[in-house]
Amino acid sequence: MFKKYDPLKDKMLQVMDDDGKVIAPAVKPAIPDDELVDVYKKMQFARTLDLMMVSFQRQGRMYTYPPNVGQEAISAAAGKIMRDRDWLVPAFRELGAWLAKGAKMRDVFLYWGGHEDGARFSDAPNFLPPSVPIASQLVHAAGIGFAINYKKEDSVVFAVVGDGGTSEGDFHEALNFAAVWKAPVIFIVQNNQFAISVPVRMQTVSKNLAVKSVAYGMPGLKVDGNDFFAMYAALSESFEYARKGNGPVLIEALTFRRGAHTTSDDPSLYRTEEEEKKWEAKDPIKRLRGYLVSQKLWKESDDEPLVEQYKKEIEKEFIEYESYPAYKLEDVFKYQFKDLPEDLNRQRIEYEKFLNWKEARK
Amino acid sequence: MKVVNMVQSINDAIDIKLGDDPNVVVYGEDVGVEGGVFRVTQGLQKKYSERRVFDTPLAESGIMGSAVGMCAAGLRPVVEMQFSGFSYPAVNQLISHVSRMRNRSRGKYGTPLVVRMPYGGGIKALEHHSESPEAIFGHIQGLKVVIPSTPYDAKGLMIASIESDDPVIFLEPKRIYRAIKQEVPEEKFSIPIGKGKHLSEGGDITVISYGAMIRDVQRAMVMAKEAGISVELIDLRTIYPIDREIIRESVKKTGRVLIVTEAPTSFGPGAELVTIVTEEAFLSLEAPPTRLSGFDTAPPLPKGEHLYFHTPERIFYEIKKLIDY
Amino acid sequence: MRYIFKFPDIGEGIAEGKILTWYVKKGQAIKAGDPLVKMETDKVVTDIPSPREGVIAAVFGSEGEVINVGDPLVEIEIEGVEGEAAQEVAAEAAETRKHLTEEPIDEKGFGVVGTLEVAGDSAYLPAGEEGRPAPAAPAEAPLKKSLATPVARAMAKDMGIDIDRVPGTGPGARVLKKDIASYYENIQKGKGKPKGEAAPPVSPVEYQPLSQIRKTIAKNMTRSKHNAAHMTVFEEVEVSALVRLRTDYKEKFAKEGLKFSYMPFIIKAAAEGLKSHPVLNSELDLENDRMIYKKNYNINIAVDTAEGLVVPVVRDADRLSIREITIKIAEIAEKARERKLTLEDMKDGTFTVTNYGAIAGTYGVPVINYPQAAILGIGRILKEPVVKNDEIVVGHVLPLSLSVDHRIVDGGDAARFLLRVKELLSDPVSLLLV
Repeated sequence: MFKKYDPLKDKMLQVMDDDGKVIAPAVKPAIPDDELVDVYKKMQFARTLDLMMVSFQRQGRMYTYPPNVGQEAISAAAGKIMRDRDWLVPAFRELGAWLAKGAKMRDVFLYWGGHEDGARFSDAPNFLPPSVPIASQLVHAAGIGFAINYKKEDSVVFAVVGDGGTSEGDFHEALNFAAVWKAPVIFIVQNNQFAISVPVRMQTVSKNLAVKSVAYGMPGLKVDGNDFFAMYAALSESFEYARKGNGPVLIEALTFRRGAHTTSDDPSLYRTEEEEKKWEAKDPIKRLRGYLVSQKLWKESDDEPLVEQYKKEIEKEFIEYESYPAYKLEDVFKYQFKDLPEDLNRQRIEYEKFLNWKEARK
Repeated sequence: MKVVNMVQSINDAIDIKLGDDPNVVVYGEDVGVEGGVFRVTQGLQKKYSERRVFDTPLAESGIMGSAVGMCAAGLRPVVEMQFSGFSYPAVNQLISHVSRMRNRSRGKYGTPLVVRMPYGGGIKALEHHSESPEAIFGHIQGLKVVIPSTPYDAKGLMIASIESDDPVIFLEPKRIYRAIKQEVPEEKFSIPIGKGKHLSEGGDITVISYGAMIRDVQRAMVMAKEAGISVELIDLRTIYPIDREIIRESVKKTGRVLIVTEAPTSFGPGAELVTIVTEEAFLSLEAPPTRLSGFDTAPPLPKGEHLYFHTPERIFYEIKKLIDY
Repeated sequence: MRYIFKFPDIGEGIAEGKILTWYVKKGQAIKAGDPLVKMETDKVVTDIPSPREGVIAAVFGSEGEVINVGDPLVEIEIEGVEGEAAQEVAAEAAETRKHLTEEPIDEKGFGVVGTLEVAGDSAYLPAGEEGRPAPAAPAEAPLKKSLATPVARAMAKDMGIDIDRVPGTGPGARVLKKDIASYYENIQKGKGKPKGEAAPPVSPVEYQPLSQIRKTIAKNMTRSKHNAAHMTVFEEVEVSALVRLRTDYKEKFAKEGLKFSYMPFIIKAAAEGLKSHPVLNSELDLENDRMIYKKNYNINIAVDTAEGLVVPVVRDADRLSIREITIKIAEIAEKARERKLTLEDMKDGTFTVTNYGAIAGTYGVPVINYPQAAILGIGRILKEPVVKNDEIVVGHVLPLSLSVDHRIVDGGDAARFLLRVKELLSDPVSLLLV
């Protein structure tokens, strides 16, 4: 697969067309029907949750949130392949993968709602908290890969980053380290073509992003990120490659950030409606649905009740989240060190004295 | 005169310098087309073209290091780090090169650049969007560090920073980007780097602060006034080099001093200021010079912010403690 | 339950929005997330979704109208349970709309991450003055304070000396420890003087620096006399019954570790008097055009100490027994003598009793403990001939001097209060019945 879809020749792995019709049957992965429907439902759930997060923000009940709309197939494919023993090293725009790895809805609400508790992801194993400085998480992934080899474990690291992240020094250092160490890391670049306002053609003049793998001596693959079958095929192949001890892989998943960078961003400043419409036609959920409907595995009319059901579940969870206990003073200090040093505890005590004085004044 | 906020006054300052110095270039992530995530560079690319105001790939070290080269070759870059919390990959270039080029080349080359960063917290954002790392920059020898607290000062200091032949880290207190409006002259003017300013005169206690904290100190001063305490407030405006004279004269008058900073306590600007106070006015002290600074913890996420950032009440509490000493 | 959904801040630096299109109307059933209205703001046109599932009970604002962030948009009836009307909220919103432009509004300003506060339109600072032709800076105030090390300052403080008055002989006129020591000696010898004054060869006067207590007393006395219209009424109480109590119960009290004193009885009687004549337990608040009637009966008692007069308080004297008041008085008197009184021990007094008679003096004209309304002065009990049942007998007369603030306490009130106190003290058993 890596040879066939040579990034230097700008080949892109694609299995179905924009309407869900299979055009490359040879590479289509064999997935049982019921599992496929399950994948579709998961993608719908992720999107529903995503849209509701935006809605909550508009209602003043949630802080700034980065919509995932249009990128669901990538997370769905990774989510389907990741086992508990595999690692997810997230960026911040792969909600479906978070859920697959074990994050609960409440964690999503807590994290974006401004509480560190969310990033524990309910103690789901092998899942780092999101690392805000772009691409800094990739070198972490290389280190995890090293440890897996060191301990002779059977695990693979799924590390996610965006097209903007490929310009950071950390991206290059991470790929190089992982390659030199033969670390079992799949670097998934979600090329949604925008880093806030900067389009990918200003990020790099390389032919595509997958070619950057060549410099580091590892296989690279450019994939249609909105094609679930293509993503699944690419990630499965990479998974096996890495698991067998061959080293890391770079996957460029070409997609489009259909939403804004965050809920406070205004994309009309830097892109056109035409572009957005063009990629609407390539929407991942639309395409998979096209396939399922054509195979009589799904009816379009089943979409609405499904989404409604999900909305109700999400709303219920959200209302519960809204009564999460308030942040306590000790929460600010508790996790700075393994054991709170005396000097730091003193600062907490000083603050408490202030709080007592404040109470007494009332 | 126009009534503007800090975003507009900084924009204005950069506009003026782009206009009168063809060597000035402005770059960073999202500063061109978008005009910056806080709109500080809005409209500048349109006015001066992509040749002078442009977006770069997402790479802070690259942005900072390339500026060093540009300076050597005669340009005067004004670069942006999108948030102070993202400047860390660039700190290597700052310590190793930006701050040392003049010394290394014995004056043959300098680094007349300005690094702009929104800094400080209290805006309900994610991790790394609320950092106050001014102590780190203050400790790097060879850099000047400027922090305005009003739109007027921001414009005057930005112009002075761009015209300075030394590298200037220009920290913009994002919490008050739009919270204060002020009359600012439309013409060019500059304020000297390294000079503090009295924001109020008083006899009982000196409070030294800068940036977004100034506003909270002023609110605390209202409470202090009700308690009969008269506060002399000094806005440092420059963290390096610090205006010793203004501090000395004030502490001689009052004998008590409280330093208020958002930045964490250990090895922070507060520690530096306490030392300066004892060096300059030891014999006038009637109470220990005291720093009210942030906990030695990462700033908590929005749900815990209210416990970390100093409120006017906390500042008043500390003022009162010093008066009652 | 009725839920009012207000126009939220949606993170785009807006303070207001224009209603373009309503998607819902009264009586319509909606689900959470359904779009309610299309709003136009400075930055974008956007739909606002419903936060809840229910039925629209009311819609606020018409198409084309501009509303502010925080104004109500819709009222939703959830689960069909009746709740309060929304009219009050709408009226409140109209009120706040008036104020919104006067103060800085706490809203989200533009930023791709986070939320910024945005200043209102009318509140702005004047320009600064630097960097342009500026007016001359104001002249510096002359320095009046001494230079001294913290150690020297601590020494001066311990000795009760104001260091700013000590002439310094160290470098730069610094006050050294030995300067403080000699200043202190001079005070003891009666030759101390503040620096800057030339000493005449033989001085007919001695200067002594004011202590903090003295300064405070002076300030308070002036304030009291300056503000309250002092009027004093005298009355005498025949207290033979009280004196007999003392003779009979002195030992019994002593066995309980208590010293029998008349003060607890006087305090109790005063508290009772205040209960029936509340204007003497009040305060005049001219600034707010009102009287403040106090519900607690916290009696300050004047205690004479080496440093001067202090007035600690016996709280809720009306609720304490004679025993409890006796103990309390002993406690605070001791604390006063040891200079251990805290702010807690002194504050919240509503009426004062001063027993100058313990030393000497019969009638007096005590100064009110401002801003209280009255003060009761207790004189020395005199053994005098009194008339009882038309016969002259030996009686015990306790002279009372009640000073009141005549602005709020009339002669009648003062007299009636004294009458009540007199009743209770001349027949102390009646104190058991209050």
